[in-house]
Amino acid sequence: MTSWEKKQFFWGWLFILPTMLGLIILNIVPMFQTLYQSFFRTGDFGKGNVFIGLENYEKLIHDPEVWQSLFNTFKYAIVEVPLSIIIALVLAVFLNRKMRGRSIYRTIYFLPMVVAPAAVAMVWRWLYNSQFGLLNHMMHVKIEWISNPHIAWISIAIIGVWSAIGYNMVLFLAGLQEIPRDYYEAADIDGASGPRMFFNITIPLLSPTIFFVMVTSIIGAFQVFDLIYMVMDETNTALPKTQTIVYLFYRYSFAYNNKGYGSAIVMLLLCVIILITVFQMIGQKKWVHYN
Amino acid sequence: MKKKLVALMMTVIMAGSMMACGSSNSGSAGSSANGASQTSSDVTGASSDTAAATGSDPLNVVIWDSNQKAGLQQICDEFTAKTGIAVNIEVKDWDSYWTLLEAGASGGDMPDVFWMHSNNAQMYMKNGILLKLDDYIKNSTEIKMENYMPEITELYTYDGSYYAIPKDYDTIALWYNKTMFDAAGLSYPDATWTWDDLYNAAVKLTKKDGSQYGFCMNPSNDQDTYYNMVYSMGGYIVSDDHTKSGYDDPNTLKAMDYVGKLVKDACPDPTTMSETGTDVMMESGNVAMIMQGSWMVSGFLQNDYMKKNCDVAILPYDKTTGKRASICNGLGWAAYSGTKRPDDCWKLLEWFGSKDMQLEQAKLGVTMSAYQNTSDQWVNCTDVFHLQPYLDETTASTGDAQNELVLRPYTYNSTVWSGAAQTKLAAAWADPSIMEQTCKDFATEMNQDIANENK
Repeated sequence: MTSWEKKQFFWGWLFILPTMLGLIILNIVPMFQTLYQSFFRTGDFGKGNVFIGLENYEKLIHDPEVWQSLFNTFKYAIVEVPLSIIIALVLAVFLNRKMRGRSIYRTIYFLPMVVAPAAVAMVWRWLYNSQFGLLNHMMHVKIEWISNPHIAWISIAIIGVWSAIGYNMVLFLAGLQEIPRDYYEAADIDGASGPRMFFNITIPLLSPTIFFVMVTSIIGAFQVFDLIYMVMDETNTALPKTQTIVYLFYRYSFAYNNKGYGSAIVMLLLCVIILITVFQMIGQKKWVHYN
Repeated sequence: MKKKLVALMMTVIMAGSMMACGSSNSGSAGSSANGASQTSSDVTGASSDTAAATGSDPLNVVIWDSNQKAGLQQICDEFTAKTGIAVNIEVKDWDSYWTLLEAGASGGDMPDVFWMHSNNAQMYMKNGILLKLDDYIKNSTEIKMENYMPEITELYTYDGSYYAIPKDYDTIALWYNKTMFDAAGLSYPDATWTWDDLYNAAVKLTKKDGSQYGFCMNPSNDQDTYYNMVYSMGGYIVSDDHTKSGYDDPNTLKAMDYVGKLVKDACPDPTTMSETGTDVMMESGNVAMIMQGSWMVSGFLQNDYMKKNCDVAILPYDKTTGKRASICNGLGWAAYSGTKRPDDCWKLLEWFGSKDMQLEQAKLGVTMSAYQNTSDQWVNCTDVFHLQPYLDETTASTGDAQNELVLRPYTYNSTVWSGAAQTKLAAAWADPSIMEQTCKDFATEMNQDIANENK
């Protein structure tokens, strides 16, 4: 190694060290601790854990609540991910043109991202309230938005979409700026229509960004917790049909004080997310164009 | 163009992170101050450091009832004026309170002084999380354990040692809306009422158009509502030795059947009740009767509608058993065993437990006090509501019925099954015809939970 390479090596590592440390301490070590803990029946206050092998996983396989929650999570993701991507993409394309008040619109759409998720959920909880909620009041109906098992999961997903649009939009805007104007000018001269340009130029050239947003959105959707926790009460009849796998993990780990089983549940989620991400990585070869 | 966009993003992200910083600063002001005191004081010389720490850092106190904060703050201010030890009271909601305590106990960073509850006091005492108070009590002139209600003292005694100073006790009573009773031409509830009278009145007070309901209870209203019915009708939730579920007891099932009837015929939709608490429904004039604990009084006193329209009556009794039962519970003031300032903590506990401050707590209307014979003061804290019924429950009999105070049912770690009960019973609330089967199924599950405790 030449001295230049050594220097590069040294400074390179030095610059990523803070992030690496954060990742190791906050993510990677706890990940293995969780895996380890999932083989134990945990004692009070983290003391006196008893090794029980695969017992937690055995219970997990036969627990209908777990599979129902996993199904609920899928339902949530299927509504939340496509909607938040499509709406954000359309908004980004419109807000990428020259128009008056563009910055204001961009800021408005991004604002939900700045608000604490718990506050967002609290506001929506009251909007949705069947007795005193603004939504029912304005529409003169009595819909039980968050306690009817058939629609509660959609109501929750709507909050998710609303809070995710702004962030996705900014990512798409950044991606759109990378596309050279020449393509559009050439297409314009050839007489291509707006939608045609969108599908034949914008989408293919934006596909790396779309792919990134999709992977992170899906992972985010599978990890949704705060919305359910803040919006749904424990006695809500719609809870069994709405609670996600992370919510279940929280209940077992912190409310029921059964951290071992909670860890097993979250390991299941990890496997599901890894599987989905692997499929996406394979699938991307078919539709993502890196220049 | 691109620069502008990047600038926008940066601004928003910075604004976001600044907001995050701001909120975390204000939220943890107390705990970070406490953290500073911990690093400055030596582990071995904790007590000798106390003097140095006194006056500079506030003791960190965490509670879960925001209605009590103002009154307790006043009591703490007097404490600070007398001793020079500052006290910082922080309020968490019930769920996050226990998450915080549990995480704090596992990680070794707890508030100095906090409330203990019968739900899981056993678990905290057994694991040595709470400061043992025996020696302090022996040397104290202010605190004599026999001055407090023995039921409450017993909750916080483990292996013959005391771990908390009884703070208060609470009973349950029936709140009713006078205006609605007048409009329906019904006489107000009184000591002659049986559960059947309550049911009949509730049905009469329920309007078909959904603008008014006779009664209101959610599966989460256990201690304040359906437990009382269960014990009054001769059933039980947990056996006396705290080892067995009573949800499959025939009398419990009878009471739960009554609950189902009431929910079906005289209560708002279960879905509505799961979204909106019974207290809010009462305060907004949607229901004619609810059962609530004495701890709610200070909150109701701040509501103009309640003050204008509502009052308190004693709970109904059961005709068959001739028994009127009120669930009773009491909190304890506890300190963290690992605190760096145990002597200061004790001074605060002693202050809270002293006769004067227990009287003050009652007088301010915070709650009834655990110190015996101080609760008359609490009844007189307001002339808007007649609070005497809360006290009448503690006497031997009222009218034709025998009164019985029942300690809130608990086991080693009650949170597990009491939480599960709420979720399970929600299904029976939605469809009362499955009430019996739900209770029987839940009894099996609860017995399993209890068997898994303390392993």
